[in-house]
Amino acid sequence: MTRPPSTPPDGSAGARIDRRFAADVEAHRRDAPRFCPACARDLGLATEFWEGDERRFYCWCATCGWTGEITTTGETARGHEPQD
Amino acid sequence: MLTAEQNEELTAVEAGTPMGEVLRRYWYPVAFTRELEEFPVKRVELLGDFFALWRSPSGRYGIIPEPCPHRKASMAYGVVEGDGLRCPYHGWKFDVDGACTDQPAEKDNTNFQERVRATAGKVEELGGLVWAYVGPDPAPLLPRFDVYVMDGFRDIGWADIPCNYVQVMENAVDPHHVEHLHGRYFEFIGRHEGFTAPASFGKKHQRIGFDAFQWGIIKRRVLAGASEDNDDWKVGHPLVFPYNMRVGGGGIHQMQIRVPINRTTTRFMLYTVHAPEGYEPVAQQTVPDYEIPVFDERGHHVVDYVEGQDIMAWVTQGPITDRTTEHLGRSDIGVAMLRKMFRQQMAAVAKGEDPLGTIREPHERIDLPCEKDKFHAGGAQFALDFCAMGSTRYSPAIETIRQVHLSAADRVAADHEAGRTSFLPAGGIGTATLAPDTSAQVDSGRIPR
Repeated sequence: MTRPPSTPPDGSAGARIDRRFAADVEAHRRDAPRFCPACARDLGLATEFWEGDERRFYCWCATCGWTGEITTTGETARGHEPQD
Repeated sequence: MLTAEQNEELTAVEAGTPMGEVLRRYWYPVAFTRELEEFPVKRVELLGDFFALWRSPSGRYGIIPEPCPHRKASMAYGVVEGDGLRCPYHGWKFDVDGACTDQPAEKDNTNFQERVRATAGKVEELGGLVWAYVGPDPAPLLPRFDVYVMDGFRDIGWADIPCNYVQVMENAVDPHHVEHLHGRYFEFIGRHEGFTAPASFGKKHQRIGFDAFQWGIIKRRVLAGASEDNDDWKVGHPLVFPYNMRVGGGGIHQMQIRVPINRTTTRFMLYTVHAPEGYEPVAQQTVPDYEIPVFDERGHHVVDYVEGQDIMAWVTQGPITDRTTEHLGRSDIGVAMLRKMFRQQMAAVAKGEDPLGTIREPHERIDLPCEKDKFHAGGAQFALDFCAMGSTRYSPAIETIRQVHLSAADRVAADHEAGRTSFLPAGGIGTATLAPDTSAQVDSGRIPR
């Protein structure tokens, strides 16, 4: 392998902590689901992703195997879809 | 986005960590067969540990941890004697099972010999590669995936890349990157460097899907101009858990291997079998191997070929990418699915179960699902693009490979004219793995674009 002595000069910002998104890191720590909605045990994994304005957590429970998405709603839960 | 603790757990390879214990349940390629024919001892780094690997004159292989149990000198400088390996420092000798069989300067004292047993792994040769298992007994069988045992002309490209293997694996469940990294970006580089990028790589994704199956995750896509009847969707191709991806098309069969050497180094290997319809066997004494470039003389990534572009993306994410500040979208759902699979297997191993994709039943060949009409680009065109625009351009056998495909095309034409059926090497499942009008387990549906 021809490896440069240090970080490649053409940029690898991901190698350093990205301070721009400290608020998102904090929000993730605050909001990531901790307990399984099915069995109430510790949740094994919650990967956060975004869809439009919504923050979603793709979850898997190591105890009961439940898989699902949990979406933060803030103060207002979504109502019915508008009727035509 | 994950927590720092989850990222740490996910990316670990070391013994004693949940993920390191999962990884120690699999076989890994640790040498080319020809290496140990040229010199019978090799120092191997795998999963953050160092080993001495050797081949005896009778053809038996052994692997033990590098430090001699006596006073820690490197057994990778050892002397191959009989089927065993003798330490270069004081001559202690170990057999392929790790038993100490000689302590030349000690009195005849079998108890002492039994106390200093080396922890031997298992070693087998398959398909021009030497494979090692360094986990707990009983070892599973070495899986005989189709590419390693099927007819065809083979070669192996490789590079050691400075990043954690998980970001390479996450790329394997990221269909959208193809149209950008190997499409739009390839075209951009081509415009500036004076070449034409392959058009088939730039087709837009209309739908993506993923299905967990016994060997990992099948990845599916519908590209612009195609439908769910095309191979890219109904057959797809698999991430083979935990460190491979099976790809192919146009008579090419390939396993992309990503061996976790240590936490921040991955041995990337492209094990390729050229086996088009009409293939006429070409004798191979050894399987040629060749290093593919990662950086140029300026330290910049080499990005004018497909795998160089992938490597650029993986490496510039950082040695261990910081998943606490990433921002996944819905299109990254395959990545989330893979992380779940890693986490599931950590739990399985913690409970004493075999993780996904280990096999204990004797078998001749494991055919993996893989589309044959890749990107609906046509077989010959895909093969030509593959040779010209991918890592195969660096193969010492490139002219032979071109000839394999050209001769096969001629043979198919002649057979067609004569009403004969052309020879088709067996391997790979090119038939549907998803029933018509059904959704994948994780399915984007039609993406409005």
